Amino acid sequence: MKVSNLLGKAKGSALLLLGTASVVVSMDANAIPVFARQTGFKCVACHVGGMYPQLTSLGRMFKLTGYTMGNRPNLTDLEVQNDYPPVAVMVQGARQYYNNTSTQGLPGHGQGVPSSSMNVQVVSFFAGGKITDNVGAFMQWTGQKYDNTQTGSQAGWNAAAIDNTEFRYADRTVTPTTDTVVGAYVNNRATMSDVWNNMGPWQSGWINYFNSGNAQAPTTFLMGETTQHTAVGAGAYIFQNKTWYGELAVYKSPTHGPLSALTAGAPPSNAAAGSNGTVIDPTPYLRLAYNKEWGPHNFEFGLHGMMAYAHGSGLLGSTGPSDYSQPVSTYRDVGFDSQYQYVLDPHYFSAHARITREYMNNAGPGVFANYSNLTPVNATDNLTETYVDAIYVYQAKYGAQLSYQNVTGSNDVGLYSMAVNGAGGLTGNPNWSAWTPHVFYAPWQNVRIGYMYTFYTQMGGVTSGNNNLVFNGTKFSPANFNTSMLYIGFVY
Amino acid sequence: MKNIKTILTLSAMSLALGACSTGLDKSRNLGNPNVTGNTLAQQVCSVCHGGIGNDVNGNSVNPRYPKLAGQQKEYLVAEMNEFHNHTRKDPMAQAMMWGIARNFTPKQIDELANFYSNQKPIPDSGQKAALVAEGDKIFHEGVLDKGVPACMGCHGANAEGNGPIPRLASQHADYIYKQLSVFNTDEVYTEGKENVPDSDLERPQGAVMEGIAHGLTEQQRRAMGAYLSSLH
Repeated sequence: MKVSNLLGKAKGSALLLLGTASVVVSMDANAIPVFARQTGFKCVACHVGGMYPQLTSLGRMFKLTGYTMGNRPNLTDLEVQNDYPPVAVMVQGARQYYNNTSTQGLPGHGQGVPSSSMNVQVVSFFAGGKITDNVGAFMQWTGQKYDNTQTGSQAGWNAAAIDNTEFRYADRTVTPTTDTVVGAYVNNRATMSDVWNNMGPWQSGWINYFNSGNAQAPTTFLMGETTQHTAVGAGAYIFQNKTWYGELAVYKSPTHGPLSALTAGAPPSNAAAGSNGTVIDPTPYLRLAYNKEWGPHNFEFGLHGMMAYAHGSGLLGSTGPSDYSQPVSTYRDVGFDSQYQYVLDPHYFSAHARITREYMNNAGPGVFANYSNLTPVNATDNLTETYVDAIYVYQAKYGAQLSYQNVTGSNDVGLYSMAVNGAGGLTGNPNWSAWTPHVFYAPWQNVRIGYMYTFYTQMGGVTSGNNNLVFNGTKFSPANFNTSMLYIGFVY
Repeated sequence: MKNIKTILTLSAMSLALGACSTGLDKSRNLGNPNVTGNTLAQQVCSVCHGGIGNDVNGNSVNPRYPKLAGQQKEYLVAEMNEFHNHTRKDPMAQAMMWGIARNFTPKQIDELANFYSNQKPIPDSGQKAALVAEGDKIFHEGVLDKGVPACMGCHGANAEGNGPIPRLASQHADYIYKQLSVFNTDEVYTEGKENVPDSDLERPQGAVMEGIAHGLTEQQRRAMGAYLSSLH
């Protein structure tokens, strides 16, 4: 999954988890992460082919019922409980390859991050699970060796901070004719509540891949990392008869108060110049979905939308981050999403499709501003983002995935900074597309080895021919953005 | 230090939410012996083993999970005890039911078995006629030259089961096929060996089925599934 550019203290991550867990005892040799310890399930029960974070129908219901199924950790000695602490760790080692010499270290594209040798690059700590019969939590704290979104420097381990974190309340009522789940949540990222793996942190794969967040490959406000862990949202939802789903939430950047704990270490509270920490005014997020299960099949079709009000960054040459004193731009994101799954051992298949259309109303008048320290030239812009993937896993051991991303939109030389050779300067074209094949092997359920490669077939609107893109006087082609990664992931 | 404040705040939030506990009648707590079997059936088991409406309780949608509706109570008790004791070790039992049943009490097991044995089973449809016919023949006549007796001899004329012998009628075809394959795996493992301990087998309590399953070809196992899943 994507892990954001965050600031904080690595030491604090361990302390946070210990503080929340309250008790730590020795771990069972067979034990695996938090929810598996709580339920006694293996990964494959709740994840498609064991490939987290892709959820099966059981995994969806586990999340929608507030992470409360199973045994509560033995925090109070009041009940018969399991023996495991509600904590887990994930470590990802990788070797990543960038062609960033060809692209002159364009901002947001692995600048300062060379092709790496095989080393440990991401560490996440998890805590959470069942707190009461109705309330549960998912907490994550992440540090990483490099960060793609950090301009001019590596994030480094001291940039560890809070990651996807959520508290849920849920109540399920089953009668002879109805099955109703109603719930509410507080979390630190819009789309974190997604249970169909169409959006945000749960889309595609669990792998932290630098290539996500490439500034030359723009994404919608909703799917981008712009408010990731920097805003707190409160939402409510209903899931009726395992068929109809509705959800409404409101996100806002907390400036103080207890909810600001959910953004601990994340910008903009201590954002460095040029970071993409973004402050937003109350921003509604909506999700509607139809879900159908038959035999080993599962189908979902839904609508999603967000109306974001984001403050601009410092204007007119300032390099500061998004600031409450700056004017507000609006980002209206609406789209369709769909998922199909086939879950019947030993075959697991999952496919997703999503189209999100974004309408930007850049703050004005006079000089237009947006949240990411850029100055659009248009009063309004738009982007259309398409995402499609398909994954097949055999025996919960061998897997292959192919994903495709495409973005098209209006030209704006203030937002998109690559020039096209021979076009007489910047075109401001945001269009890009890429394919990512990915193969992996899981010798044990908590170890995964994989290789993925991202091919850019279009960048800056350039789809064919070599060396038609220009930056800092150097010419190059979309293929120069290609990245690849060999990784090994471990969770315990 | 800011991180200490964060830790304290999140811990306090967890504890505050922890005070909001509600009654046991909607609990999904698998570690609390006071939660009744009926509550567990509604809140936990129904997620996989079939919920409400047309999928009345115990008739699972995905064949990954067996139908429990109308199953013999004695058999249900035996299986839940096997999951609880880890003596049934087929892969899906380990992946799901070991965890579910790890803190089951005898009372909960009895209540759950009572609940599901009293639900109405619903057969599947859409089986291939040729496979159903082949399964029908084996069910009633066996495959005598392979040492496979007629299934109806033990499982009943309508595959309704009897006490510790499970009901097979209406069961998902894929589940029947996979369990026959598990028995076959155990037979292959024990062939030519003496004194194989139960702990080496995936379903040692199904020993009587090992040779029978081994006598069936893969297609015949599929045929048994097709036929049995169509039965009322």
